[in-house]
Amino acid sequence: MSGEDRFVLCMLAPALAILGLLVAYPVGLLVFDSFFKVDTITPHIREWVGLKNYIDALTSKRVAESALRTIQYSVFALFFEFTFGFCAALLFSALPGQSRWHRTVFTLPLMVPPIVAGLLWRFLLVGNIGILNYGLVQLGIIRDPDAIAWLSDEDIVIYSVSFADIWLTTSFVALVSYAGLTNIPRDLLEAARIDGANAFKRFWHVTLPLMRPVIAVIVIVRAVDAAKTFDLIWIQTQGGPNHASEVLSMNIYQRMVRFGDLGEASASGTLFLIVMMVLAAAAYWKIWRPAHA
Amino acid sequence: MRRARRFNINGILINAAALVLVLSYALPYVYLLTTSIKPAADVQQIPPSFLPAVVSLENFREVLQSSALPKAFASSLVVAVLTTVLSLAVAVPAAYVATQYRRRITTLFLLFALVTRMVPSVSLGVPLFQLLKSLGLLDTIPGLVLAHTSAAVPLALLLMSAFFEGVPKELEEAARMDGCTRFQAFRKIILPVMIGGIAVTGLFTFITSWNEFLYALLLTSEATKTAPIVIAEYNSVYGLAWGAMTAAAVLYSLPVIVVTLALQKQIVGGLTFGAVKG
Repeated sequence: MSGEDRFVLCMLAPALAILGLLVAYPVGLLVFDSFFKVDTITPHIREWVGLKNYIDALTSKRVAESALRTIQYSVFALFFEFTFGFCAALLFSALPGQSRWHRTVFTLPLMVPPIVAGLLWRFLLVGNIGILNYGLVQLGIIRDPDAIAWLSDEDIVIYSVSFADIWLTTSFVALVSYAGLTNIPRDLLEAARIDGANAFKRFWHVTLPLMRPVIAVIVIVRAVDAAKTFDLIWIQTQGGPNHASEVLSMNIYQRMVRFGDLGEASASGTLFLIVMMVLAAAAYWKIWRPAHA
Repeated sequence: MRRARRFNINGILINAAALVLVLSYALPYVYLLTTSIKPAADVQQIPPSFLPAVVSLENFREVLQSSALPKAFASSLVVAVLTTVLSLAVAVPAAYVATQYRRRITTLFLLFALVTRMVPSVSLGVPLFQLLKSLGLLDTIPGLVLAHTSAAVPLALLLMSAFFEGVPKELEEAARMDGCTRFQAFRKIILPVMIGGIAVTGLFTFITSWNEFLYALLLTSEATKTAPIVIAEYNSVYGLAWGAMTAAAVLYSLPVIVVTLALQKQIVGGLTFGAVKG
């Protein structure tokens, strides 16, 4: 081994050790546990059950429902935060002069801890004292402040809890998009303009294709984060009413903490992990790579 | 003439739209601030009002005099500082060789860090609970620091790699010509140049730990509860004490907001850089 190799290894070793102990080993343990009947009180006593935990998880109605809700929540949140954030970035880049202070203020939600964002939105939406409904009454959109029960109506609660997510992360989308937009060469847009392309055509044929890798990154990062969400929803509803806002990560948490079933929680956790990896990899190959080729 | 006029109207429209957008996003947090300085009884009045009729620090006094919150802030701070120190100590050298000494192992290593970011916290939280339990570290500061480090190290690696990409290889070569060993070149020449990037990365790892909720919920109980856990408990333990909750939320979130706004320029650079490159 050359001196250079030894240097590389020495510098890498502490990080490898930490990631090995705190990520790779736990993931191994997760997969291992998923084949056993084992609980949180006495985790050293385990009984091999093969694929039973997986079969239980895959045939459980509550797991299936929480998985569906995770998709509903993620798609809804991602759609709106992407739309709002991308429009904000276009708006900022169209502002005459620098949009510095606009962007500064707009960054604010990005700094807010998720637990505070969830709390705040619960306070805005909660029955009786939620100010949002009073605002909607003033605007003439609804007739009385009890008209929409955002957090207690089982049919809409999974979408209501995503408002906090949308508020919190629109600025992330906006800032990353803005950085991408400022990297587009001005003369390309100018050339298109001289060729007679109107604003919409310039956007569609020049801006959007060049933004593809940036958009891919935003969508992957945000979709993964939205699917993992726990704290934002927990603080607003704790998964209620009647499990109507229980997403997958909350379902796994409940099975571990409330029911102490380490084996089943591990099986669901493993499945969740695999699905996320596959999705991220697919998104990476499909959206990101072609732009590099 | 007509053209100039149209441009002006467009400019005004765009400005107005940007203003409305920015204000509507700032408004909820402003409402949190105005609510926290209302007297506790006014917080739950029907109909709610945006501005306080009387300014009162009653809510702040209440949460600061309770024993739980100040203690939780201390725990949060200690955990976040230790997490930041540990994460930087392992991630900065690793990111340096991963970007400056490219070979198969470093590429694989960065890929592993990226993949780690996709792991759902709950999937990692379940076995971490077991790991810490077997080490006797449940509900201890070191235990929570380890859990937070598992989330902070991948982030620090990706951010620091983005910063190190901008460092020319010649810098180290010049130092080596002058008789430095590789390690000396890293410590005496490279690190001082990177101090800005390290500071931004440190702030992000600090915030990651400061904001973290799920691991704290799973892995701590009475002894080391962090601030977000105590704030969340205002829900159940104390009934729905909205006044206290908003005051606690302000105390918890405002310092981070002030610091990050003050360092806005560097942070936004680091953040978008890390995201686009990562």
